[in-house]
Order: sequence, then C-alpha cells, then structure tokens
Amino acid sequence: MRKIIKNPLAFAGLIIILLIGILALFASYLSPYDPNYIDIQSILVSPNKQHIMGTDALGRDVFSRMLHGAQISLLVGIVAVGISTLIGIMLGSIAGFYRGITDTLIMRLVDVMLSIPSFFLILAVIAFLTPSIWNIMIVIGLTSWMGVTRLVRAEFLSLKERDFILAAETIGASDLRIILIHLLPNSLGPIIVSTVLGVASAVLIESGLSFLGLGVQAPTASWGNILTDGKEYIQFAWWLSLFPGLAILITVLGYNLLGEGLRDNFDQNT
Amino acid sequence: MRLILTSILFICLFGCNKSQIEDVNFDEEASQESGGTLTNAMIGEPNNLIAMIAGDGASSLIAGQIFNSLLKYDENLEFEGDLAESWEISEDYKTIKFNLKVQKKWSDNHPITCKDVLFTWKAVTHPDTRTPYGSDYQLVSSAQCINDYQFIAKYKEPYAPALETWASLHILPEHLLKNEDINNTYFSLNPVGSNYYSLDSWVTGQQLKLKGNPNAVHGKPLIDNKVSRIIPDLSSQFMELIAGNIDLMSINPIQYSRVFPNRPELNKKINLYKEMGNGYTYFGFNLKKRPFDDINVRKAISLAIDRQEIIDGVLLGLGEEITSPYKPGTYWENKNIKKLSFNPEKAKELLENSGYRLNNNIYEKDGIPLSFEILTNQNKQREMTAVLIQRRLQDIGIDASIRVIEWASFVNRFIKTGEFQAVVLGWSLSLDPDQYSIWHSSQQGPGQFNFIGYSNKTVDNLLEKGRQELNKEKRKAIYNDFSSILYDDQPIIYLYAGYGLSAIHKKIKGVKKLSPPAGIYHNDYEWFVPNKFRRNEMSL
Repeated sequence: MRKIIKNPLAFAGLIIILLIGILALFASYLSPYDPNYIDIQSILVSPNKQHIMGTDALGRDVFSRMLHGAQISLLVGIVAVGISTLIGIMLGSIAGFYRGITDTLIMRLVDVMLSIPSFFLILAVIAFLTPSIWNIMIVIGLTSWMGVTRLVRAEFLSLKERDFILAAETIGASDLRIILIHLLPNSLGPIIVSTVLGVASAVLIESGLSFLGLGVQAPTASWGNILTDGKEYIQFAWWLSLFPGLAILITVLGYNLLGEGLRDNFDQNT
Repeated sequence: MRLILTSILFICLFGCNKSQIEDVNFDEEASQESGGTLTNAMIGEPNNLIAMIAGDGASSLIAGQIFNSLLKYDENLEFEGDLAESWEISEDYKTIKFNLKVQKKWSDNHPITCKDVLFTWKAVTHPDTRTPYGSDYQLVSSAQCINDYQFIAKYKEPYAPALETWASLHILPEHLLKNEDINNTYFSLNPVGSNYYSLDSWVTGQQLKLKGNPNAVHGKPLIDNKVSRIIPDLSSQFMELIAGNIDLMSINPIQYSRVFPNRPELNKKINLYKEMGNGYTYFGFNLKKRPFDDINVRKAISLAIDRQEIIDGVLLGLGEEITSPYKPGTYWENKNIKKLSFNPEKAKELLENSGYRLNNNIYEKDGIPLSFEILTNQNKQREMTAVLIQRRLQDIGIDASIRVIEWASFVNRFIKTGEFQAVVLGWSLSLDPDQYSIWHSSQQGPGQFNFIGYSNKTVDNLLEKGRQELNKEKRKAIYNDFSSILYDDQPIIYLYAGYGLSAIHKKIKGVKKLSPPAGIYHNDYEWFVPNKFRRNEMSL
C-alpha cells in the first residue's frame, strides 16, 4: 500500500477509482432528480444551476443519469471480471498443477478463444440473448478469462519447482491444499493486476455494447446509452456527449493507472 | 515559419470566403433561368435503377427522375397522364385503355411505343422476375397493344387500386432490355429513360450525377444537373447543409425548432418547410397472445397513453394525432371518429372490469401479472416514444420493459416469427385507400403485413368490397366504416403522424411556400437556381 502511495500515477488511479466508486455507491442520495423522471417542459436544457450537466431529449437530468450510469458501469465491470477471474484461476490452476493432457487441452481451448476477436464474439452472443445487465456481465465474464488462465498457469509452473512445494508434497498435503494454501497466495500479484486492468476493459465493452444498442436497455441509464442519445444532437447539445465520454475516459484511465502501478510494484518484488 | 505562413493563408482564405457569403442576399427575387446544379444527399446508395427489382428507397428516388409511368399524380393528388395522353375505364370496370402520347422518345432517341408498356407488364409479371410488386399486375388477366399508341389491360374482377398501380410502374425500353436478364443487367446501372433526367456519372460510394434529358417527355427541366452525394450519417449531412455543400435535406424536429431559431445566420440562407408526412407511428400488439386478445386491455392501454405528451416530447409538437389509418387532411380520412383521450382512471376501471386486480402496484389476473416487452427498432423517436409509453403504463399498474433491436433482426427474428408482444412501429401509406395487405385476415403468413394477427370478418368484407368499388363516394363510405370499426377494435394504438420537415437553400427558387397535397418536391422540375447564386462548380 505504501508503495502505491509513493507511485503518483498509481495513487491518482486509486483516488479516481475510489471517488467514482463512492459516487456510484451513493448515487441515489447524491442525484438531485430521479434518473428516469421525464420532464417534457425542459428538453435539452444546457448545463445550469438546476441541471449541472443539462438535460437530455426527454428532459431527464443528465447528472442523475450519469451517477446511476456509474453504478451500472462499475457493477458490470466488477461482476464480469469476478466471473472471468474465477474461471481463469480454476482452469489455470488445473492446467498448471496437473500438466500433461489436461494442460494441453485447456491451453488449446485458450488459444481457440483468443483467436476470436472478443468484442465480436460478445456482440454475436448478446444478439441471441435478451440484452440485460446480467446477461452482459455473464457474457463478458465467459469470454475474457483467457488472460488470467495463462497467468495462473505460468505462475504455478514456476512455483511448483520450488522447495516449499516439494516439502508440502512430502508431508503428504492433498492437491487441493497445496493449490489453495501454497500456490495461489503466492501467485496473487499478477492476478490482482490483471483483475484491475480487466475492470477497465469490461467498462469499455459495456459502454460499447450500450452505445450499439445491445447493452443496457432504455430507460435504464448507462454511460454508453447516454452517449448514443447524445450522438444525434452533437452539434448543439454538447453536454450529452461530453460528460459520459469523459466519465468513461477517466474511469478506464483510473483502472489502467492503478493496474500498471501495481504491475511495476510486483515486478520489482520478484 | 512555413507553418505560420500557411496558417495566415488559411485564415485569409476562410475570412475572405465568409465575407463574400455574407454579402449575398438570397432573399432577392430572380427571374427564371435554366442551368445550374442542385446537390442533395442520400443515406444509402441505390443498388439498382430498375425500381421493380431494387425495392429500396434510394433506388426508387433516383429511378423516379429517370423513368416515367403511364400515369402520375398532379399536385392535388388526382391522376394525370405521364406517358399516357388519356385513359378510359370500361363500364364494367374491368378494362382500362391507355392512349399513349405520340412522337415521344427515349433519351437514346428511340421512339416510345406501346411495345415498351407491354414489355414492362410482361417483365413485372414474369415468374422469373425477382420483384415484390408482381402481385398487383398479375391481376391483369390479359394485356395487349391495339396499335403503337394504344394499350389495353383487362382485369377478371374490378380492381379499384388499378390506376394507382399503373402510376407506380416505371415503363422500361423494350429495345434495350428484350434480350437481357432483367434481374441482372448492366442496364440497371446505366439506364436509358424518358423522364426529366438521365444518368451522367456514378462514382460508387461518393455521388451520383444526373443531367437534364433533352428528350424528356414533359420537356427539359430548368435545373441542368442534379448531384446526389452519398452521406450515410444524418448528423454529417446536417453539417454539410450548414456548410453549404448540399442544398437540401429532410431534418428532424430538434433541428427544425431548436437549431434554426437560435442561428439567424442559417435562416439567411436556408428556408424551412413543414408538411404533413405520409405515414404514422403506432403501438401495435400481438393479438394472438395474452393479454392483448382482450379488447378491454387494449382500450385501457390506449386510454393510459397521453398522445399529446408524445407529440410534444418526441416531435416537439411537430405532429398530429390520428384516428384513422389515413394521412390527416386527405379525402380518405374519417373525420367523424371520436378520439379516446388520455384518461388513466377509466383505464383502470376497464382493467378491473376484465378481472384484473392490483397486487404490489401491478395488475394481475389468475396470478399472471400484466407485464410485457415493447420492441422497437433503432430509431431514436420510436425509442423515446416507448420510454414515454412505459412511464404512463407504469402509472396505472402495467409493467412494460423496452427492447431496441437492429432492423434486420427485428424483422427476421421477431416480426416474421410472431415472437413479440408489443411493438412501436410505423406504416407509410400509399395514396390509394386500399389496406388489404395490412388488415385482411388472409395476410398473416410469415413476411406478410398483417403480422399482428388482426382478424375481423366485417373488416375483411369491407376491404374486399373497397377493392372492387370504383365510385369514389361509395368507396369513401366503405373506408369510413372500415376506419371506425378499426378504431373501436383498437388492434393498434395510433400514436402520431409526424410532419415532414425539409431544409432547402434559399438560392433554389420556385419552391412553393404552401406545399400542395402532393408535397413540396412535387414541382421540382420547375425549381431553378438564378445565375448570380450559383456556386463555382468544380468537377470531380
């Protein structure tokens, strides 16, 4: 932790993430209006005291929608990455620990998955399902575990040759115990890094899907949704494109900064 | 240093240019002059200039300037001769005789005769021709040429929309096409026609240029060249309009009532036009599924929706409520229908009469909550409409969710299979009142237009009678009955008919301020660009 504070970029990333996290967590208390409250009398009002980020084409308050959109974006990011990390750790541990034919099968599966451009894979799968945030989380999770699998496997391969593992095996510890107690805790570093970076890419994918109309469905607000709505009026309702665009940029930047910072950190340790 | 010089040069270029534009007063009257160029924009590129094969909007728009039909509509939407000089309908309504204009020529100087008409009819009805429009012309039991300038079409049964079908069939030149496969011919990209314009050049993905046809059946148009640029994005089109690179486009309500009023410099060079559009947007139900088979549910939904709110919110007031499936203000509209107005209390009452009870603020019956999904395609206005409907339904205790889908999968996965509950969609209307294909119970097959599954014996009967009645007053009575039964049944809820909004550069003169029923583009062959307003034209 102290090292993160010493690295100004990583620290900035952490602050950004915390800040956006807090805003999202308390969205219902912080937003001045109901995000879905329609006011036909004040359509596309530019930012002012009542609506600090203006209103959209149905007179809804953009600031309130941005706050609730943050909830959606972060929720999708974190749950999707949770799913992919879980799958990645499981498959990576099995492959790295047991080697042999199991390893070959899992790693070839990883190669197959990696050979498909992931965004298009997600697009294709989502097009067949009902678009909802739960489906999006699951689909993003199920299509982005390959990186973690490779990392965990590589860590396991090198750790398995160490003496303390040999010692554990000699005492007669079970496979599960060796994996959970001895191997995993020692390979946490790279997993954390890839998790943090994964959130950034999941936030981007969710925004992309919503922008294309395949993500979160109206009237639920998400950054991608607000951005598509704004596209139509970009010549004069700049606030509809600027704020969600900035929010996505800053969030992704925050996660990337923290992830990179952590990576430098772990690299120095090893 | 070079950079500074270049920037100074640029500043000067833009500066000088600007002051020049400001000097021109486009409101000045000018006398008719021929020549000049009109530039417009298309979203999509035409794929085939033989309209019966193409079937897409961009193609028929261009093809319509190159080809004539036998008949056309005048500015009051009455028929007048196009290639035909006159026409006679027999007393039993089963035979139409067209007398063609004599001595007219294709743009390659070949004479236009009855053979061309007969050839076109044979082509559109031939089983190998891949056209969606064949069925109308297959009702003609026999067609023949009496001489070079007389064409006769005989029908088995009287068919009231017949004249309309002859007004929408582009006559093609037999001498160029008789040995060609019409589905797949070079002619479709290099057509020879008889109308005001002929194709000059076509740069794929960029633009299509038409030039005045000296042989045009109705004489040469005033504007010499028409350039249609292909700009797939509407926002970019609007920027091109503001920059003066295109002369006209249709605009949306926000641009019409928000952008233009705030930018006086635009009003100096661009005129705005507003006219009733030729279609309506509706909220439709899958009538074969619960709960929409219950008329009380449909009526309750209709009463719960505030249509004026949708018109104000989505169209910024630029639209009208309708009560019959016809363009407001036209002959076929039934003006005597009393409209259901916004009344959420009455809506709840109707639901309760049907056995629905509130549970957790949502109505339910037999343990099944009144809840459904509203589908619509990726059209911002429709999506916003769905959001407003959802909110109003929620207010009275109906739970609706929204799903927006891309057009192709919308049609193929949901409409054609009947796997939908409710939709926000639109119909564009033809000028003939016949709506057999939308409402007749026989038209429910996959890919047919009665996909909501509407079936009403009386309506079937009226639609069949309406097709065979050629007396205009009697026909009007039939379609009035049809409209009022439809409104009582509420198989769909009419939401609004939006205005068509156009922006046209002021240098284009001859546009009628008060648009006739046929629309402002009706007399575009009389439009002209005075010499003093013409831009320096560079060739591509």
